[in-house]
Order: sequence, then C-alpha cells, then structure tokens
Amino acid sequence: MHLRPNQQRRTSRPTWLLMAASLFLAPTALANVSIDDEPAEEAEAEEDKEEVLALVGGEIHTGLGGVLRDATILVRDGKIGAFGYDVDVPEDAEVVDVSGMRVYPGLIAVGSFGLFGSSGNLDDSVDPYNQNMTLALAAGITTAVDGNSVAKLKRGHVDGLVVSSSAFETMSYSNGNPQGQLKVEGDLKGAADYIRAYRAWEQEKKSNKEAKEPSKKGVDQKSLRILRGEVRPRFNADDRTDLLEIAQLAQRYGFRPIINGCREGWTVADELGRAGATAIVTPRTRRPKDESLLREGGSSIENAATLYSHGVNVVVVPASRGISLGGIVGQDLLHLPIEAGFAIRGGLPQLAGLRSITIEAARVLGVDYRIGSIEVGKDADLIVTDGDLLHYQTFVQWAIVDGEIVYDKQAEMFFAHIRPRPETALAPAERMDSGEEAPADAPADAPEEEPAEDAGEEPVIEESGGEEPEANEDPEDPEDPEESEDPEESEESENTEQTAGA
Amino acid sequence: MILSPLLLLGPIAAAPAAPVQGDLFVIKAPRVELGDGEVMEHAVILVEDGEIVTMGQDLPVERGIPVIELEEGQVVMPGLVNPYSRVGMSGGGYNDSRPQVMASAELYPSAAYKAFFENGVTTVGQYPAGQGIPGQAVAVRPKGDSAEEMIVEDGVYLKVVMRNNSSAKRNLRDGFEKADDHLKKVEKEREKFDKAQAKAKGDKKKSSSKSKSKETFVPPPADPRVQPFFDLREGKLRALVSIRNAASYEHLIDAIGDEEFEWHLRVPLTRDIDVFHVADKVGERGCFVLMEPLITLVPGTLRQRNLPAEFERAGAKLVLLPRTDSKAGFESFLEDVGVMIGAGLDRKAAVRAITHNPATFMGLGDRLGSLSEGKRANLLIFSGDPFQPDTKLDAVMLDGKFVSGDMDQ
Repeated sequence: MHLRPNQQRRTSRPTWLLMAASLFLAPTALANVSIDDEPAEEAEAEEDKEEVLALVGGEIHTGLGGVLRDATILVRDGKIGAFGYDVDVPEDAEVVDVSGMRVYPGLIAVGSFGLFGSSGNLDDSVDPYNQNMTLALAAGITTAVDGNSVAKLKRGHVDGLVVSSSAFETMSYSNGNPQGQLKVEGDLKGAADYIRAYRAWEQEKKSNKEAKEPSKKGVDQKSLRILRGEVRPRFNADDRTDLLEIAQLAQRYGFRPIINGCREGWTVADELGRAGATAIVTPRTRRPKDESLLREGGSSIENAATLYSHGVNVVVVPASRGISLGGIVGQDLLHLPIEAGFAIRGGLPQLAGLRSITIEAARVLGVDYRIGSIEVGKDADLIVTDGDLLHYQTFVQWAIVDGEIVYDKQAEMFFAHIRPRPETALAPAERMDSGEEAPADAPADAPEEEPAEDAGEEPVIEESGGEEPEANEDPEDPEDPEESEDPEESEESENTEQTAGA
Repeated sequence: MILSPLLLLGPIAAAPAAPVQGDLFVIKAPRVELGDGEVMEHAVILVEDGEIVTMGQDLPVERGIPVIELEEGQVVMPGLVNPYSRVGMSGGGYNDSRPQVMASAELYPSAAYKAFFENGVTTVGQYPAGQGIPGQAVAVRPKGDSAEEMIVEDGVYLKVVMRNNSSAKRNLRDGFEKADDHLKKVEKEREKFDKAQAKAKGDKKKSSSKSKSKETFVPPPADPRVQPFFDLREGKLRALVSIRNAASYEHLIDAIGDEEFEWHLRVPLTRDIDVFHVADKVGERGCFVLMEPLITLVPGTLRQRNLPAEFERAGAKLVLLPRTDSKAGFESFLEDVGVMIGAGLDRKAAVRAITHNPATFMGLGDRLGSLSEGKRANLLIFSGDPFQPDTKLDAVMLDGKFVSGDMDQ
C-alpha cells in the first residue's frame, strides 16, 4: 500500500480490519450459550450496520476495456456499489489507499483441484484455511471450478462459496469414437425435430384447439437444453479433425460450443469463429505436428491470438490445474496471469488477455452476471496489484472476495519478503522489513521474527504469542524509528524470513 | 465439621484426648498447589472419611489426630484429572449417531487402571469409542472392585466428532431436528388428548356425573436417541466436540447454526495443525479446550507454536491431556506440561489445566480437582516441583487413602 502521510484514512485501515474480525466472530458469539449475552448483542448490532469499503486512488481496470486512473471503488455489503472519479465516500466507510496500484476483477480459474481442501459438497467439506487456497488468492484467483462447481475462495468461511453447481455440460464428440458421434448427432437431431414440432404445434394451437402437443418421449433432455440455448456444451478436443467436426456440428444445429484444449484451433480458427465457439486454451502447450499428415498441425504460441482474431472467445488455463510446490514452477494455477501473458506474447491483445482469465471465464461458466468484471452491482471480488497484472514482476497485494480482504501479501509468509510493500509512496527506498510488518494484520500464521540474539534465553514461542497484541496498533507509522533505523538488523531478519519462507 | 472447632481450640483443650473417630488424619505440607493456580505455604489439611474437612495455613492440630508431616521441599498437588481416556476399555465403535450409548456400560475394573493412579491421575473421564456421535462419557475413580464403585458420575459429556464432511454435520443437525420432530409429535398428542378431555367433559356435563377423574397428559417418551439432544438443549448435558483442524471448527459453527447448548472442544494436536487460525474465536467463546502438551509447527515451515499457551491466552479454558492415551503418556505427562511452561505457558494455567479445569469441565469442580474444604482428598505428594523432570511422585492419595507410592498412612 502506498500510504499518503498526514491523511486520516491511513489510520482507519487497522480499525477496519478489527471490525472485520469482530464481524467474523458474530456467528460464534450468537452460538454461544454459556455465559454472556452482551457480546452477542453487540455483534448483532454491528452486523446490522452496512459495511462500506472504499479503495481509493487506484487505477481501476474494469476488465471490459475501461481504465480509470486515480479512481475510487465503493464496496457495499460485498457488492460493488459505485466506482469512478467523483464517488462520495461515506464518513463511516473504511478506506484503503491503493494509490499507485491497480485494481482488477478477481481472476477465475475454469479448472482446479486442491484449492478447497476436498471435493464433494463444498459447503460441507471445504477447508477454508487450506494453504493452497491462500496461494491461489496470492495468484489473484478469487473463483475456481472444483469438480463441476464454481466456488469462491472465501478464506475462513464455509458457507456462501458455491456460485454455481453446474459449471460445465460436457459432451464427447470425437473422431476416434464414431458410434459416440452418431449418438450425439442423433440426440441433437431428435431434439431439433422436437423443437420444430413444438413450434408448429404452438402455431397450430391458435386455430385448432384439438392439436396434439408433440411427445417429449425419447427426446434427449441435454440436447434440448443445448438447442434452446440454456446451456453451452463443452467438448474436450485438440485435434484439427475433431475441432472441425465440432464446429460443423455446432453450425448445423445452431449452438455455441466451448472447446477445452483446442490445441490445433489455429488451423481451423475461421470455422470455430463461425460456430461462435469459445476456446479454453493453454498457450504454453507444446506438441509437434503429426508429420504423417500434410496439413498444418501441432501447437502454436499464436493459437490464442489466431483464434481471437477469428472471433473465437479465448479463456486461458495453465497446464496444471493444481498448485504444486515441487518441481519446476510456472505451469500451475499460481501462474494463471503468466499463462495469459504467454497468449499475449503470441499476439493476443492485452485486453483479451485480461478477459481470458476474468469475464470470458465467467461467461463459459454462466456466472458472468455476478463476477468477472468490475461493474456496479456485481460481487466485490477484486484484486489489487502493484503493477500490470500480466507482467511477470507483478504481485497481488490484496485479494478481496465478497468485499472482505481475504489475502494480504504482507500478512502471509509466502511472498511478504519479496519486494515488501513500501511504507510510503514518497519514500520507496526505505524498505520495511517484512517480518516486522507481518503481524500488523494479525494473521495467526504470519511469519514472526525469530529472536536474533537472545534466542537461547527467550523461547521462540513466547515471542510469537507476545507479539500478537500489537496487531491492533497502527503498524505502519512512518515516524516509528524502530522500523527504518537499523538497516542491518532488518536485513538480517529478512534473510531469516526467506529461509523460513522457502 | 464437628471436629473443626476442636481443631482450632487445639492446644487449650488438648488435655482430654478426643476420641478419634472415623478415618481422620492431618497432612502438614510445606507447599500445596491448590489446583486453581494458587499456592498455600505451610498448609494443614484435615481429612476425614476421604474428604477435606478443614484446610488452612499453620492451623494448630488437636493432639491424637494422626499427622502426616511432609518434608521440606515436598509439594502437594490435587490429583490429576484426565477427562479423555480409553485406557482400560476395549472395543471399537461405529461411525453414526448413537448419543444414547453410555461408556459406563463398558466399564469393568481391571489392572489397566493402575496406570492412572500410579501416575497421579485420580479421576478419569472415559468416553465411548467411535466416530460420528459415539455416546456419553463417564467420570471414573480409577480404583474399585466393581464398576459401580468406580463411577463418580455418569453421562458427563456427549462426545461428538466433527469433520469436514456432510455426514458429520448431518449427525449433529439431524439430532436436533429429530428432537424438534418429537416436540411436534408431543404437541399433536397433547392436542388429541385435550380434545378427548373436552369431549369427555362435555359428555360428563350431559350425564352430570360427579366423578372427577382428572387425567393428566403424559407426553410420549422420547426415543433414547433423541433424549440426549433434549438434555443438551436443557443444559443437562454438555457436548465435547472433537475437531481436526481450523476448518472443522468453522464447519462445527455452521452445523450448530442457531442451536444453543453447552459445548467444548477436543483438539488433538498434530505436528502441523492449523487451528491457530481460530484460536481467537475459540478464546472469545471461552469454552474448555482439550489438547496435548505439544509444540506444533506452522504448516509447511519449522516455525514453532505453543498452541496450548495461545489458546489459553486467547481466553479458552485449557485442559491438557497426556500426549498418548497410554501408560507411557501418563508417565511423561507432567514433564511434557513442564516443557510447555518452559515454552511460555503460564504456570498457573498449566496447573489449572490438569486439575481444576478438567474437573470443572466434567461438572465435578465442586467435588474434586482442587484442594479446599469439602473436596475429595485426592492428592499427590511430590518430592519437589511437579513439573521438574527429576521430581519423584512420592505418593498418591485417593479419597483419603494412599493408593500408590512409598508413604505410610
């Protein structure tokens, strides 16, 4: 956070966090039967109060093309209440100064595993303190598909996660399975015939009351829903032949396919574009062409760009849908924006790159009415970054889900030590030690200072516990001499941080 | 209490040696841990029939009363209370909801119980095995010839296992739902009964018979599986919910919803458990938290945490359990607690966490778990500070009788 000195808003942030914490406790307090009723009442009163959060001074990227510099976003009760240049910030609003930073809609991963701790009924099985969830938030992901559910990464909450329980309607239509192809085509034809007969009946009904409604018997319901436009089928296809056949099928029956993989899509981009397809691609996929064939094939770094220029909407996913802390990094969900960056490297326009991991992803999941862009009335799922989201150097500083800050880079141990957030925008050279700032936002697992000198005397554990009360104080007081005066000490403890963090 | 004035008169009325009746004796101890965290120096404890009758500093003692005079350096502490053990019990459990099961049904005296009192545990809570809602625990004195003799109190808590899955949450929700269903049923029966009564009344008026057989409505008895949930609501029973991580706590809160009953937490500490995320919330509730004296690590790191100390500081009422539910665990228990004190756990809190708190948790705090007038004479005599590794447990007294150690009565 680039803090502006001598502004009232500075002090408000910790209080705001405090309030968030106490609100968090409200259900607990209500469930408490044993002793005091007073805190419960207090909590109730606080819950009634409208929560207003204002992100002030940031560069807002709406995800739909709009960029507003030095603008304000107002979040009311978890929804985006207003944004723009002359937004009235209510007096009781909790203000976060994000000047110098960018605000984007939260990213959406259209495939994931391991972010919610377990699968199945997420409301009953999620582990909202799962490390992978925190890491995914650090990557800017605020919503992910798990199994066939679209769910939010609401850290610390077990309810209200699931946005949709039917992310995809998967169909198989592959050249390798002609029988299956016949079945799909037959089902679609049956459904199309039914729809035609139904329309005819609707017309006939007007003049002839005796007209018989066509029988639904034997009509494939899934195909019916697809042809009625209620759902878009998803196909897994990479091969040119398969892609072509899917595109033709879609055009024949008039639906818009979602194609997962789409590796050779660039060779038939015009057909896919005509079919109104959306492609879910992994720009860094590498696969040589089949040399036995004369035609073009294999993977291409330009795949996303070519598809896009032919009217195919592009959604980007990384090669691995999980989060891996071993092996070579860079291909998992932690690098979703980087993956979109590779599509840009291949020629995809910047904006399409951003859309490929936000609004387009929301669209294929059918949840774009709630998430995927910064629009008034949508869910306040936002990320604040210290630079261009698609740049490799950029870090997510805060992630906000439903109006609540669920990730703060400086409060988690993962990346706090890498380019720590400067204390003030005016003096970025004065680096703050991450370890000292970390407990500021009072996460229980914040990295705490190892006592450097008297480690033998004072137990480490005591130290960690003792620091916790400080969490409530304003930690970022620029006049605090302790934090900036001793560069050697801060350097040293930073090293400890890195070792421990790694 | 007849004896206490006598005791106070002491030296004056010493001449006629009072006839010592019953099992009466005095312990003179240089230092007594009272169990609530406080310490009494130069304490005199008068015990009659296994109960502490009087206790105070430097009280004069009536001649004729046998005195156990402890040596300088010896420390008296209340007998340890372990509210969560299955030592001495066998068999497995089920994975569903059986709240009516009583652990006391499994109870039988065996040599295994020696492991308790030989290591200073004078009261034990024994719970039924199983996942889901396995049943109700029993408070036991670990010495006795029959199960009846051992039982201190039955149904001290209902064990509930909370996991991050729908079946665990359903067990709890369903229990209360069934209780509601039963209430509806009772209401229906009552209506039926009232109607029948009114009708009978009308009939009587017509016949103008004077016989007044005023029947009272007897509600149909609740299913034994449902009754414990009524008991929970009415405060007759408390629940002990075993959670595995911070997420299970959130799921527990979600499953409880608006239901109001007394519940406490069992948090089996594992090496990299993440319950610190909810320490503040648990502290806010102020419930009992049962955990092991164990230093844990922040997941994925080598950063150490003293979770018992953190929960205690946050406001939870700490109860410490041996690291393993076995003889070996009991043997190293006090030393393990000592390590936690060394690592920042408040010493007074640590004493409470092994005596007064577990007793209070089981609803026995007015009878045992601390040393004061009216409490059972369950006490331990140590050669020094109980938490020092070189300290020896010299003797264990259970209900006023030495049951272990090398001291004579």
